[in-house]
Amino acid sequence: MSTVENRGLDRRRFLLQLSAAAGLASVGMTGLVRSARAAQPINFYAWSAGVDTVKRELAAFQKESGLTVNYNNLPYAQYREAMVTKFVGQAPIDMLWVSDAWLPEWADAGWLAPIDAYPRLMAYNADVVDFCTESTRYKGHQYGMTYYTDYMGFFYDADKLAKAGIAAPPTTWDELVAQSLKIKAAGLSDYPLMVSMARESWLIEFMSAMVFSHGGRFVDDNGHAVMDDPTHGAVAALQWLTDAVNKHKILSPACVELGELNGMKAVASGNHAFALLPRYRIEALNDPQQSHVAGHIKQALIPAGPKGSQTTVAWMRMHAMSASAGQDKQRGANAARLIEAFGGKFDGQYAFQKAMFLDTGTAFGVKPLFKDPEIRAAYEKYGDFAMFEKQQEQARRKDVIARWFGDWDEVNGTAWQSALLGRSSVADALKHSAQSWTSLSKQA
Amino acid sequence: MSTIQAPGIGRRWLAKHSVNASDQRSALLLLSPMMAVLFAVAVFPILYSLWISLFDVKLTRPRSAPFVGLGNYTQAFADPLFWTSVERTLVFTVMSVSAIMVIATLMALLLNQEFRGRRLLSTVLLIPWAIPYVVDGLMWKWIYDSGYGALNGALLQLHFIDKYVVWLGDTAKTLPLIANAFVWKEVPLATILLLVTLKSVPTDLYGAARVDGANLWGRFVHVTLPSLRPGFMLVIIYEAMMAVRHFDLFFLLTEGGPANASNVLAWHIYVETFRNLSFGSGAAIAYLLALATFAMSYVVIRTVGNRI
Repeated sequence: MSTVENRGLDRRRFLLQLSAAAGLASVGMTGLVRSARAAQPINFYAWSAGVDTVKRELAAFQKESGLTVNYNNLPYAQYREAMVTKFVGQAPIDMLWVSDAWLPEWADAGWLAPIDAYPRLMAYNADVVDFCTESTRYKGHQYGMTYYTDYMGFFYDADKLAKAGIAAPPTTWDELVAQSLKIKAAGLSDYPLMVSMARESWLIEFMSAMVFSHGGRFVDDNGHAVMDDPTHGAVAALQWLTDAVNKHKILSPACVELGELNGMKAVASGNHAFALLPRYRIEALNDPQQSHVAGHIKQALIPAGPKGSQTTVAWMRMHAMSASAGQDKQRGANAARLIEAFGGKFDGQYAFQKAMFLDTGTAFGVKPLFKDPEIRAAYEKYGDFAMFEKQQEQARRKDVIARWFGDWDEVNGTAWQSALLGRSSVADALKHSAQSWTSLSKQA
Repeated sequence: MSTIQAPGIGRRWLAKHSVNASDQRSALLLLSPMMAVLFAVAVFPILYSLWISLFDVKLTRPRSAPFVGLGNYTQAFADPLFWTSVERTLVFTVMSVSAIMVIATLMALLLNQEFRGRRLLSTVLLIPWAIPYVVDGLMWKWIYDSGYGALNGALLQLHFIDKYVVWLGDTAKTLPLIANAFVWKEVPLATILLLVTLKSVPTDLYGAARVDGANLWGRFVHVTLPSLRPGFMLVIIYEAMMAVRHFDLFFLLTEGGPANASNVLAWHIYVETFRNLSFGSGAAIAYLLALATFAMSYVVIRTVGNRI
């Protein structure tokens, strides 16, 4: 009996102990899983810009947070295609860099997570330049924090202007023609103006700067194509460029094969007197190690067209979170920490944006850094900070940011090149571009 | 059959045959891993891309890929840009293959002669062939550059031009210049193929032609050229296939521009597939290109090949 009781007790005890052990094990396992997930590396994808700076800032973040980051970088030229393939292939991505031009496409595809759910991140909006916050928003949600923002700047070679007897840089595109012809006549440059018109991702920024400064639009506020409208479309801008190539011969026909980087090098080699280039290029242009015209390159407000203003185009790139990270509480929290460290404050200051500005010259999107004495002092070594700010105040985002932007960009770039090379009229080129926009928007 | 076969012979035959069947099974077993790999990396992707070409697959629209049947094919035929790319491809192919044939024939004839430095020339000739296309493209990009290119520099110093000329940016020059870079790379292989054919021509034929009173031109027309026909066919088919589907130089030198001046089929497929991320229509155009290549090879074999 006792044996039986003992056995019974043993069995009950055994079952109790077993269930207690299982309970403890499950609690322990949950803890282990949680800590393992907390310790999961953050998969961070970026294009290969400021790689050394990124690595340095990541090292500081990893040390402070105890998290590890798998940093992957890809060439910018192939970034969109490579990332789309990774999204479709469900590659593990937590945080990534996104261009404002791709935001609608990627958000609609369900690849990005809004960061609205992270109040710590949203709190930074008070410090961020409005343009940047607007650029991170799509369909009522905010999808990222500023990695960098910049605009298309207008530069001139002060030495060439002085040699040609020109006292001040042009304020209108017509003045630029007159000054260019003077510089040409003085034998200082065969083609005084440099604008890159090669079919690459920079092309839309060059075109937008020309259109905005001529008071035009590609697309109206309702998203309808107006680029072919002679009164407030892109016609005046493209006509001016076409005349610059074919009539005045102040812009080389080779501009259609000249990419942004080679354009910058051409200016640095002293071939041109005027140039449209991303604003941050002024550092390289005034660096004696990289430029034959170092010290002579100045920034001025972009010239205005007859019905335009000195308005240029600005763009922004953001730190964003993948949808898969957003769906997982722990992964999302980890990614948000890294987004905050890079897009917001780390160690009490906007460390990443400041480091990128000091190391690579790329501009920031937070107001406090405009007052940072270290930044101002660094910039004054190669540029005019007041001019940098003044032009930024007159910069606005592209009006063609839509889900079908990529497809339309191919058609539009070719249309502009066709007009520049005389293979089609300005009106026909822009009509073709507008038709493509309308057709793609209907398909979408 | 059964009346012819004696029972003994039948058993022997069966025994022998059963060994063969076993051998065949072993062979199949041993080959199966490689066949599986080939199926995975070659057959399956080909069939899968054919399947994809029947759907409206766009990577940026991952939740919707409707079946469109032959819609992608009919859409390609209705697109004027497709026909522009077909025209550019044909122009590029005819231009390149013609130049390769002429230059390679002349080079093969030269290297078929005994002269001092022949071995050195043969070695030098192989250099372009050994250079990867990416390097070839970058090299020619530098040469053609309108701002600092070697071509402008050389022509200016030789007083052929009085100021730098726009090369790749000029729509009239773009295709011939890319073809030039292609020819430079492809001539060595074509020369070797023709030279091998020339070496196989019996010298007796030339002797007989001499006896018949044929001069140098006569021997070339009546002996050399007919003997070169197998080599010609090989070179035409190979080089035409290379030219029709060539992509590297278009990517490196012009990216299909300026203003679509170098928008050949291979570039069109790339843009459709990897820039517009429309895998369905991209696959359809790729199949059209493959069919065109097969058709072209068939025509060449039926025309030139029949005369061999």
